[in-house]
Amino acid sequence: MNYATPISELEHPAPPPAAAKAETASFRSISKQYRLDAVTVDALNDVTCALPLGETTFVVGPSGSGKTTFLNILGLIDRPSAGRLVLLGEDVTDLTDSEAADFRSRHIGFIFQSFNLIPVLSLRENVELPLLRHMRSSRARRQRASHYLDAVGLADMMERRPGETSGGQRQRAAIARALVTEPDIVIADEPTANLDTGTSSEIVALLDRMKSTFNTSVVICTHNIDLIQPESALIQITDGRLVNGGPN
Amino acid sequence: MVWTIAFRNLIKNGRRSIMTMLAIAIGGFAALLFGGFVTSIWFGVQTSMIQDQGNLQVYRKGFLQFGAADPEAYTIVDWRRAAETIGAIETIRDDIVVITPKLDLGGIAGNVAASSNKTFFGTGVVAADIDRMRQWDGWRIDQPGLASGLSDNRGNGVVVGVGMARMLGICGPLEIAECTDPPRLTRGTVTGEADTVAPLVEGDGDLSALRSGGPADSLPRLNLLAATTTGLPNIARVVVETAQSQAQRAVDNAFVMMHFDQAGELLYGDSRQATALLIQIRSPDRAEFVKAEISKTLAAAGLDLEVYHFTEVDPTFSRIFGMFSFLFAVVSIVLAIVIVFTIVNTVSMSVIERVREIGTIRALGFRKGFVTRLFLAESALIGLFGAVLALIGAIAAATLINAMGVQWTPPSNAAPLTVQLMVLQNPALTLAVVAALAAVAVVAALVPTRRAARLNIVESLHHA
Ligand SMILES: Nc1ncnc2c1ncn2[C@@H]1O[C@H](COP(=O)(O)OP(=O)(O)O)[C@@H](O)[C@H]1O
Ligand SMILES: [Mg+2]
Repeated sequence: MNYATPISELEHPAPPPAAAKAETASFRSISKQYRLDAVTVDALNDVTCALPLGETTFVVGPSGSGKTTFLNILGLIDRPSAGRLVLLGEDVTDLTDSEAADFRSRHIGFIFQSFNLIPVLSLRENVELPLLRHMRSSRARRQRASHYLDAVGLADMMERRPGETSGGQRQRAAIARALVTEPDIVIADEPTANLDTGTSSEIVALLDRMKSTFNTSVVICTHNIDLIQPESALIQITDGRLVNGGPN
Repeated sequence: MVWTIAFRNLIKNGRRSIMTMLAIAIGGFAALLFGGFVTSIWFGVQTSMIQDQGNLQVYRKGFLQFGAADPEAYTIVDWRRAAETIGAIETIRDDIVVITPKLDLGGIAGNVAASSNKTFFGTGVVAADIDRMRQWDGWRIDQPGLASGLSDNRGNGVVVGVGMARMLGICGPLEIAECTDPPRLTRGTVTGEADTVAPLVEGDGDLSALRSGGPADSLPRLNLLAATTTGLPNIARVVVETAQSQAQRAVDNAFVMMHFDQAGELLYGDSRQATALLIQIRSPDRAEFVKAEISKTLAAAGLDLEVYHFTEVDPTFSRIFGMFSFLFAVVSIVLAIVIVFTIVNTVSMSVIERVREIGTIRALGFRKGFVTRLFLAESALIGLFGAVLALIGAIAAATLINAMGVQWTPPSNAAPLTVQLMVLQNPALTLAVVAALAAVAVVAALVPTRRAARLNIVESLHHA
């Protein structure tokens, strides 16, 4: 199933060349230090790796190992202290704040641990929100949002506010919100940490399915080994260092 | 979507939103009502003064600077010619309602019956013209002035100030409220003076009649003594038709208004000369144009005259208006400061509560500007609703207060005016207040909003 008019064709007439998309993301000697008073914490230490295109990649590691930092840098909401980041063939290390926002808007979708839906908006309006930067017609936005909510199985509760839905339903809506702009990379930091086991598996399965349906790459970070699907790529981090998943 | 989010957040924080809105509404309400009062001063006080003095006044050149010391040298020598010259100006013919002469004079007024006397400052006017001027309503505020009190058919009638009447002991027959005759005093000297001036009355040798007063219609009589231009004393015997309060006590105690011809008779023996020409025009908006035209024409005609706007001759209006404008400005600034603090507080709280939402929105690919707009929209809505509330409240309160007919006496007036708060009658000021409220709301929100937009995304996302 494919949505009638892909956003990439509508709003960005020149998609990146296919050759450059051979890998979704490439970390080149990326380090990230946090300074806490006198102490410097190495959240990431010289990480070099490539994320494959169109796949689900799991980022795993113990708590405090640097998984979130890894995803934040990948999602262009945090900056590396050293090293370079290439996304979709473009070196994005030195983008300005606005350029980074534009890049996120076009290419990246986020799914959060606590869903982070806007409480005053209905599920449908939440999904419409990121489309503000892409589509002028509110009718078109509404249609598109409904379509994606339908795809995640929320067709009959679109007009509910997040507070009127369960955690699993909220995370489904958040998945629709992340996918609605047809991003190249969907980043999910512990998307199931606030959900029960059954719902967690459903959400991961849904993400995996959506990856295929909408032809995107999904990067999921989790400390729950049970969720990892056997055929997925795996990046394992310990103490800010890559254990496997490096250049191979 | 921005406005939807803003509006729904206002509803969500209903109590806080309403308190902030009320702060704005009360501030705006006060500013609008006070503005309405200042507006009513602008129209009301000017209307009173134009009814009294006309919009424009023509004087002999130099009169305002030096005339008081030597009035003779600064009178308009032939006021009819000046009035005709002005009346003949084509471009302003339709503007002019009244052109009328007035003649100022001073002297001593004596009440022979009570053997009391006192200096007076008098003015001679054409009663019919003055009565017409008092009906002027160039701004349609329906505030007719008091009639002059002079009757057309009594050439020797005068109107005096209430203080003047009191001192001369003529209150009894006038039957004016707040006018009571003084307790009887010893008045040896006064009698003597009356005796000395009495024989000078021309064509009236009937001293007994003069002394006793004894008028058929029971109105009090006075003798007015003035010095003619040739320096000789001259006396007129006048009938006091009524007494009217004057704005300033000093004036009230010495005021005598008489017919123009009577004043001319006293000073010159004829009525060709005048201190000034009062010119009343239909629409006050045209005053500057009319003034310029008259000025041009007077110069071209070789007349040694100058034309002034009434505010140039008498600074009272400018002072009153200036004072209230200043108060208005101070009050507005204080209110604005209070509103700024309220808004800053409200928006800051809103930002703090929604840090994670801000991080989320930024992560979703919105630039800082979008976050700014989100919170500014909220503040603008509060400002707008507050302003609308202020406007509705002010209109309601003004209508109520106007209907109550509260009276106040501006410093320029003798008689009180009914307080008419003009909120809607001054759309420029009303719009300005409403716009200022919205602007203050938005500008005040800029500081906390900027902080919101600059939040670190990662840290915001981890905010509890
Ligand atoms: N904003 C920050 N300031 C200081 N230290 C941080 C910050 N974010 C993360 N860290 C530290 O960096 C390390 C990696 O954190 P994180 O990437 O959140 O790990 P994970 O997601 O695997 O639990 C931890 O030691 C953490 O304390
Ligand atoms: Mg983490």
